[in-house]
Amino acid sequence: MNAHSKPDLRELSYAEAIREAMDIALTNDPSVILMGEDIGVYGGAFQVTGDLVDKHGTDRVMDTPISELGGAGVAVGAALTGLKPIFEFQFSDFAALAMEQIVNQAAKVRYMLGGSVSVPLVMRFPAGSGTGAAAQHSQSIEAWLGHVPGLKVVQPSTPEDAKGLLLAALEDPDPVMIFEHKILYKMKGHVPEGHYTTPIGKAAIRRDGKDVSIVATSLMVHKAMQAAEQLEADGIDAEVIDLRTVRPMDRDTVLSSVRKTGRMICVYEGVKTLGVGAEISAMVAESDAFDYLDAPIIRLGGAECPIPYNPELEKAAVPQMPDILAAARDVVKGRV
Amino acid sequence: MPVEVIMPKVDMDMASGKVMSWHIEIGQSVEKGEPLFDIETDKAAMEVEAPATGILHHAAPEGAEIPIGKAVAWLYAEGEEVGEQPAPFAAVGGDAAPAPEPAEALSDDSAPEPGSEPEPRPEPEPELAYAGDAEGIRATPAARRLAREEGVALAELPGTGPRGRVQAFDVREYLKGLATPSAPATFRPETGPLHISRSKGGTGTPVVMIHGFASDATSWAPIESAIKHRPLIRIDLPGHGKSPKLRIRDFAALVKEVRAAFDGLQLDQAHLVGHSLGGAVALALADTRERKVSSLSLIAPAGLGPQVNGEALNGICKATRAESLGPWLRSLVADESLITDGYARLAMQARSDANLRAAQLAMADALFPDGVQAFDLRAALGRIEVPARILWGKSDAILPWSHALQAPGRVALHLFDGVGHMPQLEVAGEVGKILRAQL
Repeated sequence: MNAHSKPDLRELSYAEAIREAMDIALTNDPSVILMGEDIGVYGGAFQVTGDLVDKHGTDRVMDTPISELGGAGVAVGAALTGLKPIFEFQFSDFAALAMEQIVNQAAKVRYMLGGSVSVPLVMRFPAGSGTGAAAQHSQSIEAWLGHVPGLKVVQPSTPEDAKGLLLAALEDPDPVMIFEHKILYKMKGHVPEGHYTTPIGKAAIRRDGKDVSIVATSLMVHKAMQAAEQLEADGIDAEVIDLRTVRPMDRDTVLSSVRKTGRMICVYEGVKTLGVGAEISAMVAESDAFDYLDAPIIRLGGAECPIPYNPELEKAAVPQMPDILAAARDVVKGRV
Repeated sequence: MPVEVIMPKVDMDMASGKVMSWHIEIGQSVEKGEPLFDIETDKAAMEVEAPATGILHHAAPEGAEIPIGKAVAWLYAEGEEVGEQPAPFAAVGGDAAPAPEPAEALSDDSAPEPGSEPEPRPEPEPELAYAGDAEGIRATPAARRLAREEGVALAELPGTGPRGRVQAFDVREYLKGLATPSAPATFRPETGPLHISRSKGGTGTPVVMIHGFASDATSWAPIESAIKHRPLIRIDLPGHGKSPKLRIRDFAALVKEVRAAFDGLQLDQAHLVGHSLGGAVALALADTRERKVSSLSLIAPAGLGPQVNGEALNGICKATRAESLGPWLRSLVADESLITDGYARLAMQARSDANLRAAQLAMADALFPDGVQAFDLRAALGRIEVPARILWGKSDAILPWSHALQAPGRVALHLFDGVGHMPQLEVAGEVGKILRAQL
């Protein structure tokens, strides 16, 4: 799946890559701490922190009470006073409980105090559907937070980027929200050793193509890659862009791709309306790349409903590979 | 809501176009895509298709000059109530013109003064021609950009996308079509009478106009407004414009065909205006029909000496794409900037019929073998006694202007500095005034 995976290179799962990033950070930088519900002895809701508490101790890998608002408030305060907390939510859906701290405090304090302070806070959000966890544990809410100036929002789609973006987030003086797709935690891929960073705000072209730009986020990048492979048989050469960062969005990469292909499909798991794809589409429509569009822009996003519990309906509620395949064929063959 | 029919932009530097003729009467219906009206610009004439199916109402009068992107008529749906004209016609220069009077939109005053620059026209609003067509052209941004860059009239393109949307593919295919060299054409001669087109309106002695080699009746457009007080009758030479592609073995055969057309008009009197080869034909016609000719105006006429730029004639006849036609077209004029790439493309579009090119090549071979004028009308010029004048550009690179100096003293000479073979295009205002004074 990962363009970088080669058998002779070291492979880690996405979850292991995140754990390794946190381990490196804890080791290299005494100001880094981990916070979250059940991240200590239990190892985290998705076993991402694992045994880090054994290595770094409970002073630096802290279980927080079952109050997202309280935990997040402590994390913002810690960040304001010199620490670099990495705060884990059990499910990204629970960000709703901590919105005051994220949106009104973390994102705004720097601005409201004239730049005299910053909030070097990293928040990790297990996100997305596909686990049968239903409406309150399956959402993709990156667009909520992407709407807030003062936050940075990233969505790594590979183990390599999961590690690189986390380490980059720790170097960022401002709050960075990392949305990790639960389905990706077990995905394996090459992960470089040691410390490195993946730039925030920079998309990755996962596959070069000339006929249509498929701009995807998170898990959808992999579905887009599968679709692109099948499209090859139709003689359609799709370019797949992994957006990686929702805010700030990599305008240049998207626009130059559209100038090349003249067609664009946005694929994202969040609800289609008012989502990430709307922003990508508008960005193209407002730019000089507009003049290169040779077909309507297509958005494939989540259905306009809470994620259903029924596994078939759950699948139907988010874009799947055949949807991308059909949309790409339509848009390239001039059927829409 | 009636569908607005707009003046399309068919040429890169076109600010307005003239409604030449409607293909249907007011109140008649037209299918979308059928030819609806003919337009003329400074440089070209073109058929415009109906943007929608409907019944024609509030059509701009023939001869009206309308800025691009502005309404020339409205198409009503079957049964739709026809009320007031939804908006007055926009006039060149800005003010809205009332509908009924054709002369209003283009008065004689708008003809440029001799020696002055043509009156500045309002800047075209480029997006209008493309955007103001909600019911008309459906095209992707990429197709519009390509069409804009390449000087292609979007309205002329068949769209292969959903609901007829023009896509970049369609523009590229179209350009490819223009660029595809056709196989060496074999000339398939046709038969039939020559095509004659007439202006609407005008009184008094009609003016019969005969265009030059490799041209057609639309080439008179730049000076027509100056002389439209007379009925204008334009003859398309054989193998040119809409005339049949007759086999013409020599100059006498050519004159015979034109004379037959002229006789068929059954005119008591006519003013003759001819350009280049058409000038030679007009002179020959005057020589044999002198009693019917009121005056003779020859613009850079052929037939007054052996020299001719055979290379240019050959080049124009053989060109199969705008890129190869353009340079030869530029040799026709002194100011090459008159011949834009868009102009060349339109000119090539008018020459896209391989049989037309083959017919003209055969005619060139008959009339100008080895690059020499194989006919001599100097004696005829000496004989004719009707009021005659010769207009010539002193930078003519096709026929030497010095041929004019052989004219007898009673023939007036108008020689233009810095003008090439196309005075009626290059100094249209002056040529129009000179002709008008005579007619």
